[in-house]
Amino acid sequence: MVTEEEIEHVAKLMRIEIDDHKEFVDKVQAMIDYFDVLDSAGVESEEISMHEIPISNLREDKHIPFNEKLIDKLNNYKGTYVRAPKMST
Amino acid sequence: MNLKISALEFVQEVKNGNISAEDFVAKTLERIQSVDDKLHAFLSVNEEAVDKAQEIDKKVKSGDKVGACFGMPISIKDNMCIKDSKTTCASKMLEDFVAPYDATVITKLKEQDAVFIGKVNLDEFAMGLTTEFSAFGPSKNPWNTEYVPGGSSGGSAVSVSAFECIASLGSDTGGSVRNPASFCSTVGYKPTYGLISRYGLISYSNSIEQIGPLTRTVKDAAFMLNIISGLDINDNTTLDDKNEDYLSEIDSGIEGKKIGIIKEMIGDSIDPAVLSATKDAIAKLESLGAICEEVSLDMVQYSVAAYYTITATEAGSNLARYDNLRYGYDFPVEGYEFNSYISKARKNFGPEVIRRMIIGGFVPSAGKAGKYFLKAMKVKSKLTKEIDEAFKKYDLLIAPTVPILPFKIGEKIDDPVSLFLIDINTVTANLTGKPAISIPFAISNGLPIGIQLLADSMNDKLLLQAAHALEQTVKLPEVPI
Repeated sequence: MVTEEEIEHVAKLMRIEIDDHKEFVDKVQAMIDYFDVLDSAGVESEEISMHEIPISNLREDKHIPFNEKLIDKLNNYKGTYVRAPKMST
Repeated sequence: MNLKISALEFVQEVKNGNISAEDFVAKTLERIQSVDDKLHAFLSVNEEAVDKAQEIDKKVKSGDKVGACFGMPISIKDNMCIKDSKTTCASKMLEDFVAPYDATVITKLKEQDAVFIGKVNLDEFAMGLTTEFSAFGPSKNPWNTEYVPGGSSGGSAVSVSAFECIASLGSDTGGSVRNPASFCSTVGYKPTYGLISRYGLISYSNSIEQIGPLTRTVKDAAFMLNIISGLDINDNTTLDDKNEDYLSEIDSGIEGKKIGIIKEMIGDSIDPAVLSATKDAIAKLESLGAICEEVSLDMVQYSVAAYYTITATEAGSNLARYDNLRYGYDFPVEGYEFNSYISKARKNFGPEVIRRMIIGGFVPSAGKAGKYFLKAMKVKSKLTKEIDEAFKKYDLLIAPTVPILPFKIGEKIDDPVSLFLIDINTVTANLTGKPAISIPFAISNGLPIGIQLLADSMNDKLLLQAAHALEQTVKLPEVPI
């Protein structure tokens, strides 16, 4: 059973403020109930396969100079904090 | 001006000087203006599209080298970055985000003189299969505007189907290209995982999502694949296809090919009209010389649960970056402690995204991971083994793309599990990395039905050949808008 406390805990981990944890209990419970079908898949002894990446596909590890002065863009200071500029219009 | 031509016809017409890219793009913009109020495919339209087309016309006239697209108007799902333009992911969280770089697919299309006509609608962060979860309102199915167009690449499918562009790029995490293609009667193609770079695609579930084209014809999908596929140093999951030409030999036919009919995808819950269309498609393939027989993929019945467990977990991680500091919306920081500011700001995600993030935090958490996440990963492995085994015997697999017909807007929005189950026929290709394509095949009560073919990894060329052969057997009515 999914509990209100669990929803509250997960919401905190996911950093989302939820006004009514109760509202999510039923919705999450319905989904989790469906996921229980995995119990009958009989895959306990199955090994998890991993996606292998050929080393040749990796980009070269080299320094690329970046000339923009990022520090100049940081103009939103408050006390010892600084707010990064938004990627927006 | 006939806006209903295919990509290849458009290229030929511009090349031959019969039409100009400028006129075609201008007419396409007029079309968008006249029908998109009803359809809501577009989130933004590129005001500079005509200027770009003019530049390409100049190159054609002066005999300069012109890219393969010749000014073809293409729409782009709004989760792919185009430098200096908004990329919203249909989310309030990214409403004003301006991409600082081009996705690799965009770079490649620019190099081939494509014209981006606009960015199109999707379920927020591609989480959904109806486009109803867009923060900016749902798109409508051009076959009947009371019905969903499918999703999450709903705007892409609508824009191609309603002649608001020639082709579109969508992304397919669990069927998000094929599902709307089926619902709107366009071709929708998810290539082998790794065939197209995901660099610049805003991630939802990295391990299984792929960019794919939505087009009028299978040949157009092959044409698009020729342009956008291949290795990319910015995405180390990409595969080297040795510059394969997917258009050449597309007329090869399917005589002698063995096709497995996936038993678990034509089960009891299938709509009778969809079942009838599937049987008809099988009969047509047999008449073309294919050998069709039933095959069982036992793990398909667990695939939807595995899919949602894995994707929600990856989504929880991917969406952690939207903390309203670097990415986000205008929300003053005053009066909040650091963590409570972020939590408050993240309330601006839509309900489906929040639901999936909660699930994404729940299923891999301590005490739950063994029951859900690890089992889901094991189902994924076993399903891959099963399908690999099937491809030792069969060249292709077949199933309906979606087991039901398009449904009314709002009909299923409050029932997430019934929505999940609509993905039953599409998630297998994503979990196993196999290529799959939806081909428009029938219309029932004025609503489209698509048929899905799957092939083994890197057998995309064979898949496109088979899809083209099936497509040639079909003559469908025109979209009534």
